[in-house]
Amino acid sequence: MELRLEHVTKRFLDLTAVSDVSTVLDNGVYGLLGVNGAGKTTLMRMLCTLIRPTAGRILWEGEDIFEMNMRYRKLLGYLPQDFGFYPDFCAQDYLMYIASIKGLRPAVAKARVEELLHRVGLYQVRQKKMKKFSGGMKRRVGIAQAVLNDPKLLILDEPTSGLDPKERIRFRNLIGELSQDRIVLLSTHIVSDVANVAKGIFLMKDGKICHEGSMEKILREAPVKVWCCRVSGKEADACLNRYQVANFKTDDQGCELRILSEEKPTADAIEETPTLEDVFLYYFGEKAGNEDAAL
Amino acid sequence: MLRYELKKILAGKGNRIALFLLVVFWGVSCYCAVTDIDVNFTDGQGKSGYGYFAAQKLREAQKAWMGPLTEETVAAVIEKNARIIATPEYNADDAARSNIAYGWMQDYRDIRNIINCAFCEFRTYDYYRINSLTPADAADFYPNRLAALKTWLDTEAKDLYSDEEKAFFIDHYENMKTPLYYTWKQGWESLLEHAAMPQMFLVLTLSFVAAGLFAGEFSNRADAVFFTACHGRGKAIKAKIGAGVLFVTGAYWIVWGAYSLFVLGTLGADGASCMIQTGLGGWKSFYNISYGQLYLLASFGGYAGALFFLFLTMLVSAWSRSATVAVTVPFVLIFLPSVLDNLGSDWMSKLTGLLPDQLFQMDLAVRYFNLYCVGGRLMGALPILFTVYTALALLCLPVCYRVFRRAGIGR
Repeated sequence: MELRLEHVTKRFLDLTAVSDVSTVLDNGVYGLLGVNGAGKTTLMRMLCTLIRPTAGRILWEGEDIFEMNMRYRKLLGYLPQDFGFYPDFCAQDYLMYIASIKGLRPAVAKARVEELLHRVGLYQVRQKKMKKFSGGMKRRVGIAQAVLNDPKLLILDEPTSGLDPKERIRFRNLIGELSQDRIVLLSTHIVSDVANVAKGIFLMKDGKICHEGSMEKILREAPVKVWCCRVSGKEADACLNRYQVANFKTDDQGCELRILSEEKPTADAIEETPTLEDVFLYYFGEKAGNEDAAL
Repeated sequence: MLRYELKKILAGKGNRIALFLLVVFWGVSCYCAVTDIDVNFTDGQGKSGYGYFAAQKLREAQKAWMGPLTEETVAAVIEKNARIIATPEYNADDAARSNIAYGWMQDYRDIRNIINCAFCEFRTYDYYRINSLTPADAADFYPNRLAALKTWLDTEAKDLYSDEEKAFFIDHYENMKTPLYYTWKQGWESLLEHAAMPQMFLVLTLSFVAAGLFAGEFSNRADAVFFTACHGRGKAIKAKIGAGVLFVTGAYWIVWGAYSLFVLGTLGADGASCMIQTGLGGWKSFYNISYGQLYLLASFGGYAGALFFLFLTMLVSAWSRSATVAVTVPFVLIFLPSVLDNLGSDWMSKLTGLLPDQLFQMDLAVRYFNLYCVGGRLMGALPILFTVYTALALLCLPVCYRVFRRAGIGR
């Protein structure tokens, strides 16, 4: 199984949303990290054949995905960022309908829908109209529809946006279960969503993949040191102006800061091992953590 | 797939409201048809009633005149009318007494109407014309129809038609078989006169359903999942179109069938073979058809119209991705002719005679004197309306498929 991107570019009038992206994905979970407007959604929509690249090719097992047409979509599972559904359908009917347009035979579809409803914890409410579902429940239906056809390529665009911490943990576990024998590409701006499950990580900025590789590789290659230090309130203000601060904690004794810097920020600062979140902040700076746009 | 597409239509709250309104409008149409002014019966005390019982009594009263509408029958009607207008009741200023006289006339009311037509000029109608006739005038009853047409064509309409067109009208008039056979036909008359109501209401209410069929995928933001599914750009779109066709077809024939059954069940279904020229509206028509044939035209014309309007709505919905834009299409197409008609020119009348709303107004379409030359052959509007709009309706479907399929892949 191989998904290859060759110089993929997408332009909208005078805006280049994705610029000359080339990479190869094989089995496993991949995290696509980037800030608002980085081009993650555009890239994913091209991988789902929803939009055509302006230049470049996307190949599945060496064959152009747009030429494969239906054969490619048969292998594909997609959860869009703004997952929409039919509000007057119950979860079971919705999944049965999606199963039918995904080409599952009715008997297979029935069993698969039942299995997935159990798996995402919605079996008890399967007859309830989806418009009455909470955000997390809708998202779970979204994940269920994406994996209905047991896809070889699963693309999840911001799957955890709007989920509470408990739902996000549940989701991470589900991704772990689903990751065998398939390619899972997961876009997010929440670093912790991919930190522990991703085999490979792509950092995307201004339409380009600026860094890629395993988490270890990305952490190793990041030219940044992380320091932990305790300072007074006045000194903290100065540090905030001068350095990138990954964490800021205030207590009775003053402020505890986590600083990204080449140089030692204070005399008593202790160097710490960088995390993916630190690297993310280092590369994307103040934009990190903004709400994502649908670009 | 098809089952779920139909379920999508029926599950939507907006669609359910539209279907509820359709039932309400169906009821209103039925009520209007069976309480038509022509179905009233006035009893011996001068009191009028409408509906089922009035229709029964009126039918019973009119039985005396059923049969071939010969010169003798026309003379007898003129004679009876002369007797009634000479009574004190007829000439009374008191409304109640005058109503009693009206009651005596209602058995020959239909025949009176066409006698008035036959003895007036082509484009005029005088309700009291019969009062000035004598039984001897009955001999001119049928010849007058043709004579009035010829006079009109030679004077008022002199420059409106070519010689071939004039000959076409005269030929059709001459081809009408006489004597006409008169029988109770009020059920068909009322049904056809009010046919536009249920048909137009159906199209207007179902346009909300049709408008959401494709646009709904976008407004619900369900398009991404739909188009990335294996059949999302093929069978699933065909299922959507299939659901649209089934829904429109099912709804149309249920509503039209129920309307027909109700009206004919209430007012009576006899008179299907009676020529439309036995009615006030049809006397001057150059279409030599019976009420049964006109009913078939109205049924299939309405169906062709519903298909055209609603498939076009579906197409606009797929193209514009907006239900709001799509839903305006049938409203504009239905109400546009009334605006154009106000312009009042003959050229405009010819044009509006070919607009799709005519498919819902067969009762009126057969009365218009519009002729069109197609491939060197002269014909009325009906064959053109049927051919053009059925073809356009069917053409909408593959175009709809292609347009929506393309919507799946942004450029």
